[in-house]
Amino acid sequence: MMQKKTDVLVIGAGLSGLMAAAQAAEQGKQVLVVAKGSGALGLSSGCIDLWGYRLDQPEQVCDDPLQEIVRLVEVNPEHPYARVQDVLTESLAYFSDICAASGYPYVTSPGGNWLLPTALGTVRPTYLAPVTMAVDSLGEAKSILVVGFRELKDFYPEVLAGNLKKNAELAADCRINTLMVSVGGGDLNPNTLAHRLERPAVLNEIIKQVKPALFAGTLVFFPPVLGERADSTVAADLAADLGCPVYEVTNIPPALPGQRLQQVLLRFLKHQGVEVIMGCTVTAARVTGTACTGVTAVGNGKTMQITAGTVILATGSFLGGGLKAGMGLIKESIFDLPVKTCAGEWSDRDFLALSGQPFNKFGLTVNDNLQPVDDQGRVVLENVLITGANLAGCNYPVEKCGNGVALATGYKAGKLAGGVSSAAIR
Amino acid sequence: MRQYDNLALDNCIKCSICVTNCPVTRVTDKFAGPKQNGPDLERFRLEEPAAVHPSIGYCSNCKNCDVACPSGVSIATMNSKAKGEFVARHGAPLRDQLLARVGLMGRVCHLAPALVNWGGRVKLFRWLGEKLFGVSKDMTLPQYAGKTFYQLMRQQKFAPGRRKVVYFPGCYVTYNTPEVGLAVVEVLAKQGVQVLVEEFNCCGLPLIANGLLADARQAARGNIQQLQKYADQGYRIITSCPSCNLTLRREYHELFDLDTDSLNDHIMDVFEYLNELARQGELVEPLNPLDLRVGYHQPCHLKAAGCGVPSKEIMDRIPGLQVLGLDAGCCGLSGSYGFKAEKYPISMEIGSNVFRAVEQMGVKQVITECGMCQLQIHHGTGVAVYHPIQLLALAYGTAK
Repeated sequence: MMQKKTDVLVIGAGLSGLMAAAQAAEQGKQVLVVAKGSGALGLSSGCIDLWGYRLDQPEQVCDDPLQEIVRLVEVNPEHPYARVQDVLTESLAYFSDICAASGYPYVTSPGGNWLLPTALGTVRPTYLAPVTMAVDSLGEAKSILVVGFRELKDFYPEVLAGNLKKNAELAADCRINTLMVSVGGGDLNPNTLAHRLERPAVLNEIIKQVKPALFAGTLVFFPPVLGERADSTVAADLAADLGCPVYEVTNIPPALPGQRLQQVLLRFLKHQGVEVIMGCTVTAARVTGTACTGVTAVGNGKTMQITAGTVILATGSFLGGGLKAGMGLIKESIFDLPVKTCAGEWSDRDFLALSGQPFNKFGLTVNDNLQPVDDQGRVVLENVLITGANLAGCNYPVEKCGNGVALATGYKAGKLAGGVSSAAIR
Repeated sequence: MRQYDNLALDNCIKCSICVTNCPVTRVTDKFAGPKQNGPDLERFRLEEPAAVHPSIGYCSNCKNCDVACPSGVSIATMNSKAKGEFVARHGAPLRDQLLARVGLMGRVCHLAPALVNWGGRVKLFRWLGEKLFGVSKDMTLPQYAGKTFYQLMRQQKFAPGRRKVVYFPGCYVTYNTPEVGLAVVEVLAKQGVQVLVEEFNCCGLPLIANGLLADARQAARGNIQQLQKYADQGYRIITSCPSCNLTLRREYHELFDLDTDSLNDHIMDVFEYLNELARQGELVEPLNPLDLRVGYHQPCHLKAAGCGVPSKEIMDRIPGLQVLGLDAGCCGLSGSYGFKAEKYPISMEIGSNVFRAVEQMGVKQVITECGMCQLQIHHGTGVAVYHPIQLLALAYGTAK
């Protein structure tokens, strides 16, 4: 049987796992990331949501998410943000530094939350956005042009344009126009189109088709396909040639901004000397008392024993496979850690209930060191730290805090695993 | 895990992460993509096996879809089966029949390797090859070695070792790069490990990739029979080619439903084996310093093996050696895929990320475990490309 030994083992390659690995490596630890698949980050919008709406008025977007989180922690000390308040701003700065140094900068809005247009013409609050998505001063625009591609399904400029008038606070005299362009026919998925747009000849063809539909000062919205690679200059080239600001709006997966962020973080980890193994599933753990002595992983039909000083559990919830659901039963899939559920109904018949689906809050309860605890608050495993969607207490679809929680908890777990010896965590 | 667990259609949640990780779909719309050809059409195939899309021929069998899938669906296996079904119904062109039989080609070309190598450089022949058979005139053909690995081994004298392993060299080492096989043998001899040499069938991967599943299954059965007797005696079975390794360890079981349970744990990449020795404190050191700065390319089939980069730990032990990960995805060649005239441009477009990374890093040498990746990176960049075991042999001072 194959053996592997490392200081820090991160299970899961989503945002929280990658942040944890980066931070632990930063502290000089040997880090191994093992993941079943490529991680949900590549399916995400690519934006970092911190907190979307006001606690007292859930229909209102909150202006300052950092302040709102301070209030949240007072009224809801069970929320994962309460465990990471000490590192929240530090973790955001660390993330922004990595992205900027990798040539894929993220920006904050002067107003606290960005209000970014989606493909459906709604506006979504988010805290950090890649430059290509950060639509500045939407409310002052005199003219907006929404461009779609004939080859691309799942993006309809008329839908965006029609709904945006209702949902965004646009200037009274703002004109919204739509335009369909073509890269030469056929059905293309977002990645194929994004790759094709990186060819200068194809991009010039698009510029030719868009130019006649432009007015001075028009904001131009595209689906999130402007280049496949994080170092791609498609959006910047378009903006320069059209003489207008060009943005990608958020759309359903697969979208390129989430994939570019994943590329950036994975590449950063490689440069930090972190080993990343995908397609390898951790199936079981060896536990002695309150310590995990190692895990069993299966890749390619072959078993591997991994021993690590600290294990960071970043396996996500139901979608990522960190939590497994059966009839009346929810289990954490590797350690069988106690899962916090709720007393009443687990789901709401109103699928899009404003209060959110109760099951989204299910997960693992942790102390301030992110160690899993039981319902008495006793530490279950000393050297296992829990991050991201695995944690109980947040309802990310309605709170708009998924990537924020992932980022901050991942950062903190990495810092604890890297900087402090496991004895000190105890 | 039993076969049907991995194939279970309902595990696919249609998240499209496989499509975003498919190097072929990325550069062309001729392939409908791993999701559509795999789990989507598989639903119809359960009722009607003829539900195979001709675009399945464009799947390069790189297995990035399998690696990316968060739900553990064996998309590549579904695609391989679909390709087999398509070929069973519509036949395979003569070109594919030949390219798939790498072992046979090796034996034939080996009758006059110099002549074959010369012929492969004559523009007129290449032009005819493309017009008549559809073999790209632009792709660099593999060079055939003057003597096969087995012939060279017969000339070598190695002292009996404390331990014995069996080596499965694979066709490319056997006929094209026997120096890699010799490096494996020399490095292992340095550890006091004696390599038993036996001739095996081709692992069958080229047959699988060309949809000739019946022949591949036959090759698999033969290999299992031969390997099993070594496994039963407790021998390790060493590979240096990631694709052979993956085929032995995974395809035999997953695609052909053959029983490889008692075989699997014996099959190891040569660097996995060296890592095992290192952990037991038995790796022979010191290693001579190598003052080199090389790029490293991770072959897709090594990625698919889910064991990381076993060569990394050993390369890290060579003083002075600087290994930079190219981290640029698939090289695009995928065995016989990039030799086909209609697929050559796709293959080069996929590989352009790797070629760009080599150029940007300014490395003059690249190391990678897969023979086909070695060929493609050399073809696309002109830099020298080696198997990492060759650098290790150099660091042991045993390389010739």
